[in-house]
Amino acid sequence: MPGLALLDRRLLVVTGKGGVGKSSISAALALLAARRGQRVLVCEVNAHERVAPMLGALPSGAEIREVLPRLFTVNVQPREAMREYGIMTLRFKTLYDAVFENRVSRYFLRAIPSLAELVMLGKILYEARVEERGRHRWDLVVLDAPATGHALQLLRVPAALLDTVPPGPLRRDAQWMQELLVDPAQTSVSIVTLPEEMPVNEAIELDQALRGQLRMPRGALIVNAVAERRFSPAEAERLSALEGEPPPLGPAAAAGRVQALRAEQAAEQLARARAAIDLPALAVPLLARAAWDAGAVEAIATALERQL
Amino acid sequence: MTGPLAARLREKRIAVCVGSGGVGKTTLAAALALGRALEGGKVLVCTIDPARRLANALGLATLGNVETRVPEAALRAAGLEAKGELYAMMLDVKRTWDDLVARHAPDLERRERIYRNRLYQQLSSALAGSQEYMAMEKLYELATERDYDLIVLDTPPTAHALDFLDAPDRVLDFLGNETARTLLAPAMSAGKMGLRLFHLGGTYIAKTIARFTGAEVLSDLAEFMASFQGMYEGFKARAGVVRALFAQAEVGFVLVSSASPRSVDEALFFFERLRKEAMPVAGVVANRVTTKLWGEEPLPLAPALAAALAAHGAGGEELAERLARTLAEHEVLARADDRQVARLFSAVPGAQVAVPRLDTDVHDLASLARLAAVL
Repeated sequence: MPGLALLDRRLLVVTGKGGVGKSSISAALALLAARRGQRVLVCEVNAHERVAPMLGALPSGAEIREVLPRLFTVNVQPREAMREYGIMTLRFKTLYDAVFENRVSRYFLRAIPSLAELVMLGKILYEARVEERGRHRWDLVVLDAPATGHALQLLRVPAALLDTVPPGPLRRDAQWMQELLVDPAQTSVSIVTLPEEMPVNEAIELDQALRGQLRMPRGALIVNAVAERRFSPAEAERLSALEGEPPPLGPAAAAGRVQALRAEQAAEQLARARAAIDLPALAVPLLARAAWDAGAVEAIATALERQL
Repeated sequence: MTGPLAARLREKRIAVCVGSGGVGKTTLAAALALGRALEGGKVLVCTIDPARRLANALGLATLGNVETRVPEAALRAAGLEAKGELYAMMLDVKRTWDDLVARHAPDLERRERIYRNRLYQQLSSALAGSQEYMAMEKLYELATERDYDLIVLDTPPTAHALDFLDAPDRVLDFLGNETARTLLAPAMSAGKMGLRLFHLGGTYIAKTIARFTGAEVLSDLAEFMASFQGMYEGFKARAGVVRALFAQAEVGFVLVSSASPRSVDEALFFFERLRKEAMPVAGVVANRVTTKLWGEEPLPLAPALAAALAAHGAGGEELAERLARTLAEHEVLARADDRQVARLFSAVPGAQVAVPRLDTDVHDLASLARLAAVL
């Protein structure tokens, strides 16, 4: 029951190569959790916010907003995160405004290495640990993380700061953040990939980085857009001979052959990913949809639920 | 053997592939380089992507900061006869920074002082725009100091396309920021020894920031700024020259997009920016497109289609039904892609290539060569 455990952690990090469908998978997992009655927050760190619009809502921006019952989203941006973190550290908003809301703040945000990542990650991890009236504010925080390289950079920040920064407020924050990130009772990272050569290569490297230098607890491998095996090898062979026929047979045979090839490749790459990555693998079928909207998220959620 | 984009790039010495992450930039860059090398010419493809995708595609185990020639034997094993030479390299951002510092530092002592600074050590990975800036810097060096007929640059997987063009300004603004200079001036003049918080001018702002970050982080910064004093002008001049290279006619930007609305948006955004800055665009690639198999008229409903297929000898009724469903699904995806490709091509002039989702993944030299043939 790997998937159920996924949704039972406090923090679920979703990452993978660019363009593999991290945001749709994050949205679908959040939808499943919300349907189970959990209060869920999806955090994005994207230049263009995707999760709320995909679910048919207006972008949440830097404010946490409820886009579906119990499902909240926020797009964490460096400047707002810095402001919130600053106010928390300095305690007084007016003091923060006087000191930080100017060119100096923008400068330091960039000048001090990894400060932007730290405050963004800090904001997200704060949401994962904050309690209200004796219980956690969120049952589940889903981090729709950036693509592999940037995600590793983001998740590495607390550990890197612990290595380089002398004792002080920064270091104290890096400390609790690192503890949360590596705690298997609270956190898990899931890798999203496509059943294609390069994305699988990148998933394998990502998995190695998670186990090796990051030492973060891993959740599942989610393989997106897997074409089902629909034609037998004998049928596929016959179809390629029919491609030259006039419509409707020729086009149908061509579509059939392409589908068969994609299915064959998908099976091959899925097997390769499973052999290289010792995680429960969840397969999301290739969906024939004209747009990535709430209906698509719904379909992904349905597919994932069956495997949870 | 090659298509319209390759023809366009024959007049160029530098091709810069840009686009959002996951669209296949790295693979296309490698294919463009391979295509040209097969025709004859000394070609280099330079990537910055740490995921080693380029090495994979070229059949090399790893790539480093120096140019490695793809062995003729490897090309021959893939059934390819190259008239030219193909080289590949992966940019090492930190080393390029080090080289740049060495170039501008007035003496060894200063260079070492900068190398030792903790802030500098993280600069290459942590400062926004640093990777992109170093990619430009390295490209300039390769373009001016080597004799390649064509250099293909695969740009970093930026979260945002504009990061690339804005990179030098962002980095220079960091190095030469007036606000920071004013704030840190007293600390900078105090030098490294005995640097304490009160050297930060004792100003209200400095004290408050120190409370936020810890005083030593701020001293590191002050020390770094102090070490850089006098070097800024040299950096700025160099960045100006590097950036000017990108506006020259011998450069061609290649916009790369998938057929997803998001990546088309990014490509169009980037194109507008290039046009505003009068930077030369060689063409646009819509990658991994699902191509239409059915004409413009609507596809018959599934039962009618299945019946027609069965009547035309598709095999049994059950197979005809599967085929009808498969074609209908294919057309849903193909039409969605078609709309996006039309949107992209109507906006961007120059060579336009739609690359069909290939029959195989592009992951070796032979499949790269097949891809090169359509570019």
